[in-house]
Amino acid sequence: MEVSHSVKERTISENSLVILLQGLRGRVTTVELRDESAAAGRVTSVDAFMNVRLAEVTFTDRQGAVSHLDELFVTGRNIRYVHIPDEVDIRATIEEQLQAIHRVRCFGGHDKGRREFLHAKH
Amino acid sequence: QQTTNTVEEPLDLIRLSLDERIYVKMRNDRELRGRLHAYDQHLNMILGDVEETVTTVEIDEETYEEIYKSTKRNIPMLFVRGDGVVLVAPPLRVG
Repeated sequence: MEVSHSVKERTISENSLVILLQGLRGRVTTVELRDESAAAGRVTSVDAFMNVRLAEVTFTDRQGAVSHLDELFVTGRNIRYVHIPDEVDIRATIEEQLQAIHRVRCFGGHDKGRREFLHAKH
Repeated sequence: QQTTNTVEEPLDLIRLSLDERIYVKMRNDRELRGRLHAYDQHLNMILGDVEETVTTVEIDEETYEEIYKSTKRNIPMLFVRGDGVVLVAPPLRVG
């Protein structure tokens, strides 16, 4: 389970639904873009800003022309929809991602490590 | 994040619609109807059993009348990026 190396990104992910998309790593999905094109491929990674990297992509552009790409990077802003595969258990996926972040946060044990933001200040 | 039972801010109204079918108006003349499974502060949403309606207007070259066409499709489970969302409401009732 790979978690971002950035505290800022971990916090953003933890507090928004993008964490579900991060749990789709390795799955084949279709990402529909703002400009009406669509990319179907295997999710390599998703960051806190919803930037998505896909592999083995079938890209259908606005006119309907199909092309094949080994890798594709889509800026988060350009995403309109992400299809969630039927076999994905949404609640479990989100919980696994949150646990992965928690493990990173408490790395080294309860009295060691950075222990970032364990308790809400208010 | 604390969850309360009272409605304190507009986003709380969306919380009341969790697990219910809702109507979402989106930018670019799109509408979604589906079951709301999750949402966040950006209005990113997860909708189940979604029907998307895309409406286009064509102008007849001779009569100049506006012809409205809509295309629908169904998607079992969809993640919607919040910046495309215009409004969220209970499903519109006809009549």
